[in-house]
Amino acid sequence: MIEIRGLRKTLNEKRVLDGVDLDIHEGTSLVIMGPSGTGKSVLLKHIVGLFDPDEGDICVEGMSVPKANGKQIREIRSKISYVFQNSALFDSMTAAQNIQLGLPAEHCRKVYALDDPLVLEAVSMVNMGPEVLPLLPSELSGGMQKRVAIARAIVGRQKYILFDVPTTGLAPVNANVINRLIAQVQRETGSTSIIVTHDVGSAFFLGDRIVLLSGGKVRASGTPGELRNSEDPVVQEFLHPKLEEETVGE
Amino acid sequence: MTSVSAGVRALGQRGLKATRYFGSAGVMACATVYALARPREWRREAFVQAKAIGIDSLPLVLFVGALSGSILAQQAGYQFTDLPMWIVGQAVIAGMLTELAPLLSAIIMAGRVGAGIGAELGTMKVTDQIDALRTLGRDPIVELVVPRVVAGAVVMLPIVIFANLIGVLSGWFTSIALLPMTTAEYVRGVQSYNYEPAVIFTLIKAVCFGITITFTGCFVGFSAEGGAAGVGRTARNTVVAIIVALMVLDVVLAPIYKAVS
Repeated sequence: MIEIRGLRKTLNEKRVLDGVDLDIHEGTSLVIMGPSGTGKSVLLKHIVGLFDPDEGDICVEGMSVPKANGKQIREIRSKISYVFQNSALFDSMTAAQNIQLGLPAEHCRKVYALDDPLVLEAVSMVNMGPEVLPLLPSELSGGMQKRVAIARAIVGRQKYILFDVPTTGLAPVNANVINRLIAQVQRETGSTSIIVTHDVGSAFFLGDRIVLLSGGKVRASGTPGELRNSEDPVVQEFLHPKLEEETVGE
Repeated sequence: MTSVSAGVRALGQRGLKATRYFGSAGVMACATVYALARPREWRREAFVQAKAIGIDSLPLVLFVGALSGSILAQQAGYQFTDLPMWIVGQAVIAGMLTELAPLLSAIIMAGRVGAGIGAELGTMKVTDQIDALRTLGRDPIVELVVPRVVAGAVVMLPIVIFANLIGVLSGWFTSIALLPMTTAEYVRGVQSYNYEPAVIFTLIKAVCFGITITFTGCFVGFSAEGGAAGVGRTARNTVVAIIVALMVLDVVLAPIYKAVS
């Protein structure tokens, strides 16, 4: 379980997070959404210790992330994998080597990435064939890069997977493919997912629970149905234009 | 009064910013030294970096080394007219060993290698690749900084040695081609120079400059912010920071020559 209590963070003299409280239960899928600049990605980065909070605490299975020493933070990170907004694949490494980075360093030194059965399993889980493994990220399309990034996140079978705006920069068709892939990965691995998005359609498709951040605070939280029926004008303002678009699309 | 207090505040903020900047450089330097104790994790990448830094830079360093030796020989020949001609040989070897070979090689490496490191790591920073390494349980200092710094320190030694050799050879060629002197006079000048302390000095400088170039490149790269423009700024800032650091280090290292001689 991940617990976030009273999280406050100021960046460039702007209060980005202003007292966020959240509980993320195991095996569930939590979607964090909200307009741009409301601290969704910053919140995600706090969970994995890339940012230190100004105030508040984040506990991963009872271990405080801000108070963790080097060994503890490595232990916390060994339970969490992170899919970055722009995939963050290493340019000089092949897809196979990038995926293998999700495994312990000791394993990577012993097993050749292209022949690694764990890498082959991960790449098939994201519906790609082994022919992509020797390719460099620059030789892959945006959607394929995203799949490789997801394969890297699941290869180590971490308990928690954090997705930072996973469909950003993708065409709507590819975004739907990635959304289905995230849902499939969660079903197959039983992992706990935290997905940051500003796309309402993705949020309702992926989330067991949805949190709406506004002004650095949790404005609303609940199941997709509860949020849809919320009478909060801020929630309705955020949801409705998209819902109308969805209706038109259907 | 208000403008004075605003000025003092601005000065204080700049001071704080500078202290924070140099403080984080110090922290990164300590982490780098600490990570040296885990050679299994960085040695393979250090070989890759050594090849990229050294072999690819050698032709340009040799070219500039040859020009430096030739310039030294000509200036000595044209200016020391009241002294015996063999002094040209001494001037060339002294100038090359103590100053020109290490410093000019380092300046070339700053532009070629330092800017490259700054831009590469800057790109990795702004595209979240460094954060990705952290989340994957890897230490960016071990994976990215230590291999480059070790490679820089090791590779600068042969580079500066070759720059010295080519400089002295080109000084000899220039002397017999353009100045009224013989090979024997040039060799006499070279041999009369007490070169042992200068050789030690040039090697110390090579290692220090190699570390400075690569470490500064890594540090400025790690500090990159904001997209493609940020990476461009980082490459430029890296070269400026390295050249300033090299000049300061050159002044600081000068008394070592006195100590070793």
